[in-house]
This record gives sequence, structure tokens and C-alpha cells, in this order.
Amino acid sequence: MQNKSNFIKVDCEVNGKPVSLHVSPDQTVVDVLRNELGLTGTKKGCDDGNCGACTILLDGKAAKSCSMLIGQVRNKKITTIEGVSNGEILHPMQQAFIDTFAIQCGFCTPGMILSGIAILNENPDADEEEIREGLHGNLCRCTGYVKIVEAVEIARDRMNAGGAKNEI
Amino acid sequence: MSDCENTNYIGKSVQRVDAFEKATGKAKYFEDYQIQYRDLLHVKVLRSPHAHAKIISIDVSAAEALPGVITVVKGSDTDIPWSDLPYASAYYGNPARYEVIWAGQAVVAVAAESIEIAEEALELVKVEYEMLPYVTDQRLAMGVDAIPVTSPELEIAAGYGGPQPEGPNVMGSYKLRHGDVDKAFEEADVIVEEEYQAGKKSTSQIECNGSIVEYQQDGGVKIITNGCGVHGVIKNHILTMYPQLTSSKVRVIQPVTGGSFGNRLFPLVEPLAVLMALRTKRTVSYVLTRKEMYTSSPSNWPVYTKLKLGAKKDGTIIAEKLELVEDAGAQIRGYFDGRLSSSGLMCVYNIPNVHCDSYAVSTNTVPCAPYRGLGCAESEWAMENLLDVLAEKLDMDPLEIRLKNMIKNGETNAYGEKVTSIGLGKCLKAVADGIKIDEPCQQDDGPWKYGKGIAAAGKQNTPLGRAEADCLVHSDGSIEILVSCDEQGMGVQSALRQMAATEFKIDIARVKMTRADTAITPFDNFGASSRTTYTTGNAVIIACQDAIDQLKEAAGREVGLAKKQITIKDGKAYIVGSNTEVIDIADLFKPFDFFTQQTWGLLKGTPVRGRGVFCPAPAVPWFGPGHEDGRTPRMWNWYQFSAFGAEVAVNEETGQIKILKLMSTADSGNPINPKLVEGQIDGGVIMALGFSIMDHHMYQDGKMMNPNMSDYRLPTTLETPLQKNFMRAILPDPLPDGPFNAKGMAESIMIPVGPAIASAIYQAIGVRPTEMPMTAESILKLIKDKEANNAK
Repeated sequence: MQNKSNFIKVDCEVNGKPVSLHVSPDQTVVDVLRNELGLTGTKKGCDDGNCGACTILLDGKAAKSCSMLIGQVRNKKITTIEGVSNGEILHPMQQAFIDTFAIQCGFCTPGMILSGIAILNENPDADEEEIREGLHGNLCRCTGYVKIVEAVEIARDRMNAGGAKNEI
Repeated sequence: MSDCENTNYIGKSVQRVDAFEKATGKAKYFEDYQIQYRDLLHVKVLRSPHAHAKIISIDVSAAEALPGVITVVKGSDTDIPWSDLPYASAYYGNPARYEVIWAGQAVVAVAAESIEIAEEALELVKVEYEMLPYVTDQRLAMGVDAIPVTSPELEIAAGYGGPQPEGPNVMGSYKLRHGDVDKAFEEADVIVEEEYQAGKKSTSQIECNGSIVEYQQDGGVKIITNGCGVHGVIKNHILTMYPQLTSSKVRVIQPVTGGSFGNRLFPLVEPLAVLMALRTKRTVSYVLTRKEMYTSSPSNWPVYTKLKLGAKKDGTIIAEKLELVEDAGAQIRGYFDGRLSSSGLMCVYNIPNVHCDSYAVSTNTVPCAPYRGLGCAESEWAMENLLDVLAEKLDMDPLEIRLKNMIKNGETNAYGEKVTSIGLGKCLKAVADGIKIDEPCQQDDGPWKYGKGIAAAGKQNTPLGRAEADCLVHSDGSIEILVSCDEQGMGVQSALRQMAATEFKIDIARVKMTRADTAITPFDNFGASSRTTYTTGNAVIIACQDAIDQLKEAAGREVGLAKKQITIKDGKAYIVGSNTEVIDIADLFKPFDFFTQQTWGLLKGTPVRGRGVFCPAPAVPWFGPGHEDGRTPRMWNWYQFSAFGAEVAVNEETGQIKILKLMSTADSGNPINPKLVEGQIDGGVIMALGFSIMDHHMYQDGKMMNPNMSDYRLPTTLETPLQKNFMRAILPDPLPDGPFNAKGMAESIMIPVGPAIASAIYQAIGVRPTEMPMTAESILKLIKDKEANNAK
């Protein structure tokens, strides 16, 4: 059924592994991640970049994967929620979200965790207001953001105290 | 042996059972199952662009001819079960037959090999409409001369009770007469009266509604959905709508879901997806877009309230008269009658004379369904605001008037019900202390003015039927709880797990939860009215006790003791009153023996199964002979309470509002898991902050103007106060019949937020908002009106 004559080749890195995609150029990054690569941890809550559930890291910076075409990630490094932990060892941001009860329905959680990591990538000492600024593109309807902001602060403190490097 | 204190998990913030899978992206939501199906069909729906129009003709021939289109459904198709009843509340997701009654109603549905083909097919559909007059304002929809929401020639009554004398759009009414209101107003020293309006809003959970329906070879269906109530709602409705499907042919599974807040309490997407699966004999997926979430999935119901209060000089309120109208949106044969919202005006204050006339009316707007709080945030908006007016006239402070008049434990409310749990007094005092209501705000010369306000709230719990639970004791000694309650994120399965571990006095790591699959887990109705902790919780306790009873008997048999001489803890049986271990539970399960065949006793590999069934005591009818006054000793079940205080800044030049500091308190009953309760407080406060000052449906020419997440403005991290300015407390009054004395709490949190902000606005700039949300535009208009009045 599908006409593959206009497909494009996209080479990129997903969660530390090289990936070579042969896909339609009108595909969004989130659809390719979910449907082609089976990385369903990246969520879709809207289709116009407003909810932030589809947030991924692109070369370490937060990006909304529903608003990007697949050609835009050529030769870039993508990190999804599946690539955040090191095997069974959780990233400090994930552990902080669990410890602080920052997770309720969980649908915004992958995007929130990745935005949190991106904030600290840019500024390892981000204060509460800077964290709030960095999270404002991610909507949550369950938590009121209180424990989410607390989780990012705790992750920041743990990472700074333990010298744990944020390598994503 | 274990220390019992260590296995008492009540009141402990045990980590959520689902936290790890959600933090790692491993949690599977319904849409994540799509990739398992290589031959999936996708459903897309053409929706009405008009608020009210007659369908003259629909031509789907070009759509049907498009390669990749498998089937097309329109309301006039004769094989669909709802074609004689296209609008009733449970059916509002399905294609219209004769006319469309709101902009967003389904008209044609397509199932195709891909989303793109389905969307292309919809563009080929030709629909000819004849425009009809519409009404989107609930005040204009009332009355005998109102524009009818459906054409009169269709002869479809708005309410399930048939045509109502009050007007063509009136669905039903609830009236209550308590005491002698006219006499009480004559005796009152002070009388206040005002009209209030609360607006239309969408729950806006981040996961859009949708389902996957897998066609089964026996002609049945397996439904994987984020809809609520796998047994009580979805399966029941599907069986009612499709007579060819019998109970064994419908399996409903609710995987991890992304919020609901009431929005998913009616089957919106499942009926159409099932029809498509039955027609095509294939697996289909139907997922709403965000725009469809706003224009076709239900909103709250807006409420108009005209409220009058009379009080004695000492502040005792002796008379309450209310006229309340719920706007149920575009639904026909709906169940609304004003009773749900008016309950908010009956459950907080003890007023000896009450006259309540409440109605529900339909309009040509998005159909309405429960929104966290069940219409009480909308009605108590009136009560709490008017109480402030009354307090000012009496020269009382807002705390004092509320404490003086609130219902006390053991007292009887206006319905005639005895209230058995109310912790509101300490909730109110705590917020007043928390925001230092007695200390006036410092003002300066800038445009920002500052004020503080407090408000109280109560919310009924509806007796909504049965919950069942199974408790398996596996032959390794571990526990598995099987329930069908909804888990929309609130963490209830974690709380239920804590109850089970506490009952068994066992390490919680040995308790597993299995949930919401009608083929495996027993009946539950649905997660509404904050009922799950209470109703399903009680069922879990009963199931655990049943299983423990069986273990005691089996252990007693081992050593020749009666079961009442046995106690179970830490996975072992002991003799009551001594620390003598009888047997490890795992050892009660015997391996298969060729010479006895093990037809008796506990067999290794098959668990002991405890059964629990719990129903709240039923309501006593409030209508019919002997109930002309609308009163009854049992209308609702129990009540949750909350108080809220806020310090706000209002910009006199722009009308903008900033929340500087807030405090919320919850009477949750005895909290099972305090961190989970805190999460409900935080989320409830911010959701309510949104609909109090920001988010609402905006209509123009009969259509919603803002059906997306940039124009429909929801609170982000920037609109919410810093952590140090966000205070909260759990101040429980134990519920006698709650599981471990807990009750639900997630709804009352919402209710006092708006009125407390309104009170603070009045203190800051001297205007009293009567409409919610209090957007910058509406506050600026109040400021300008006040200036114009002062100029006169």
C-alpha cells in the first residue's frame, strides 16, 4: 500500500546505538521512534508541541519530537526515556522522580525526566526558578508540578554531591 | 517472627507500585500496544462544523471507493445499534443520524489501512446541512420559549424522564424543602443575595482517549482501552449496545492510563471501535486527537446559581434559598437534574431552613460529564462567595462565620442525613493560620495590589455500587490481589496493596497487584466520586480476611487446633497468644501425591482464593410518595472536606492575578499513604487554579474557539507558586466504615480554590467577581465598572 519511492535514508544515533532509517520524509520523529523503533516510552499528548509528553534529548538538549520531521535528526544523537538508565541502574533523575512521588499517571513523566536532565546539562546548579523555566513546556495535570520540581532539585543535589556525571 | 509494627503499612508513604515502570518508559499505555498489530485499521471521524443543523444528505461513495478504506459508518446505517438513539448520554461518541446538535459531533466514521488514508477519505465525504437555530448560553436555554436544542419534530425529550413542563431543554429537576424558608427570611437580621456563574472547562489529561479493539475468532472482541470501569462501564455498555455480543465474548483490559478526572466515565470511543471491529473482522484502533478531546469528549457542566442567605446578627445562618441550573451540554435523555451540583450547597453548613430548586438543561455545546468535584466546585463557588458578602455585612471575619455555621460531626444535614466524619474545622483554622489571614498585606504605590482569602468545601460520595476483590495466597506464601478498579494515576493500587500487606502482616514486597482485565479480575463499577479507596479498599480487606480464614483452618488442621486458635503473620501460622510457630504458609501447600491424589487440602501450585464483595449501603429514595420534600435519611454515602487559603496579587492596570502563597488542607479520613494524598492535594490545587483564573471553553458562532493546548491555557510551572509558598496539610477525621478509617479526598481539594482567590481579590482591589474563571479580562472589566460607578 505504501509508496516507498520517496523514502529517505536517515542515519542517527538512538540511545547510544547507530541507527539507519529508511522512512517517509513526512514522518515525525515521535512516530518513527514509536512505530519503527518500538520506543513507546516517548508519548504523544497533542500534535502541536504544546504538551511536552514527546520530549526527547537531541544532542543533550530537550526537543519536542512531535514537531520535528525525521530528516531533522540526521547525524544527531537522540536519547529517549529508554536510554536514560544504565541497564538496571537508574539515572539520578529517574530515582529522584520515584523517591519524591513526582509520578502519578506517568504520561508526562518521560518528557519531564528528559527536560529535567536537559536543564541540568545546561546548568548543573539550576535553582528552582530556572528549573521551572526549563520545565514550562511540559504539561502535567496530576501533580501540580510541586513534587516534579522537587525531584529535579534533589537530582541536582545528588549529582553535584556525588560527582555523578550527567553523561546524556 | 516479624514485628507487627513493621508490617502495618497504614499511614506510611510506601513507594508507588508502578513508579519504576513509569520512570523508565516501560509502562504500557493502550496506544503502546498498537505496534503489536501488523494489520491494524485506524478509525477517523468527520465532525459537525455547526452547532445545530439538519443532515439533509451524506454522500460517502467517493470515500468508500478510496483504496485502503475498509468501511464507512454514518448514523443512518441500519446495522448500527444506536441509530434510534443517537444522542443519549452514553452514546454521544457515535455518528449523528437526523441532525447534529453541537459543533464537534461525529457525522461519519472511516476505518482504513492507515491514518493518512482515513483522513483523506473524510475529505471526500459530502455532507449537506440545513442550518438550524442553536443555543449555547445556558440562561437562554431555560424556559418554555427557549430555542430547542433538538428539533421539536424529532420528539426527543432532553431528560430520561420525558418532556419537562419547565421547557423543551430542561432534562429534569431536583427540589428540596427543609423547614420554613419564608418565615426564616422574615426573622433574619441580614439578607444577602447574588447570582453566580461557573464556566465550561475540559479535564485535559495528557493522554488522549482511545482504544484498540481486537476481533476474536468466536465473533467476540478484546478491548484494550483507557476508558474507565472495565466491567461496570465499558463491558456493560457494549453488551447493552450489541446484542450479538454476550458476556463471554467481551473482554476489556485497561492498561496503564494517563489521567481521566471524570472525562472517561462514559464509553466515548469504545462503541464505535467495536462496531468497526465487528464489521471488518479486524483489529482497529481509534484515538482522539487533542482537538477532538476538546470538541467531542465531555467537559464539566457549567453551573448558574442564584443564592440567597439570611442570618441572625450573631452570624447564625437560618435561611438558604437557591435556584441552580446545570448546563449539561448537547445531550438528550441525560440523567442530569441539578441534584449533583446542588449537593454542594447542602453539605458544608448546617442551615435549618433550605429551599432548593435545581434543574439541568441541555445546550448546543460539547456534552458534559463529571469533572473532578462533580459540579460542586461550580455550585460552592456561589456559597463561599456569598458567605464573604454576608460576613462583611455582619462585621464578622470569614473564618468565624464558617466555623460557626459548619456542620458538626453527628449532626443532621438538610437532606436529613447524619454526618459521621467531618474534619473541616481544623482544615479551616490551619489555612487561616497558614496564610496569616489576620495580618493585612503590605500595599505599595505600584499597580499590583495584594489580598488574602480563605474558603471551605465539602463533597459527597455517591453510593456507586459494588466492588469485588480476589486475594490469592500462592503456594510460595506470597499474596496477589486481583481488582478491577481504575488506576488513572492517583495511586490507588499502591494504597490497596498497603491494606493487603497490613491485613496479612507481611512484607509488602510479597504483595502483588493484578488489575483491570475482565477475563481475570472480578467486578468493580468505576473509579468515580472518590470511591475507590473506600469501596474497593473495603472489598480488598474482606477478600484478605476470607483468605486468612482459609489459611487458619488449613494450619489448624495440621496440628489439630481450631482455626480461632491460629493467627497468621509474616507468612507463617502461629498459635494465638504465644509465639509458637505452627507452620510456614508455604508448607501448607502439599505436592501432588500419587496415592492420595490430593483432592483435599492445599495443593502446591494452586493458590488459596479469598473473595471480597463490598457495597456501600444503598441510598433511600428521595422521590415518590412520602418524599415530596426531596429529603431522605440517605442521599449520599459520606463526605470529604477541604479548606484553602491564598495570598494573591492583582494588577489594577491589567486585571492579571498572581498567586503568591497558598495553603490547602484535606480531610481525607485516615490517610493510607500520606505522600499519595499530598500528590492529590498538589494536583487538585493546580488544576483548580487553572479553571479559577485561566482555562475555559470560549465559544463564537456556536463553536469552541480554543480547542488546542496553546489557546486553551493550562497552568504550567510558571503559573504555580514556588515550593516555599505552597503549603499543605492532611487533617483527617476518621471515617467509621472506611478501610482503616480512610475515605476519598481528591475532589474536595478543587472546590475552595476559586472562592478563596475571589475573596483575596476583593481584599486587594474591592471588586467581587461572580463569574469563574476570573480571567484578567474579566477582572479588568470589574475594575473599569467600579471606576465608572465611582465617577458617577
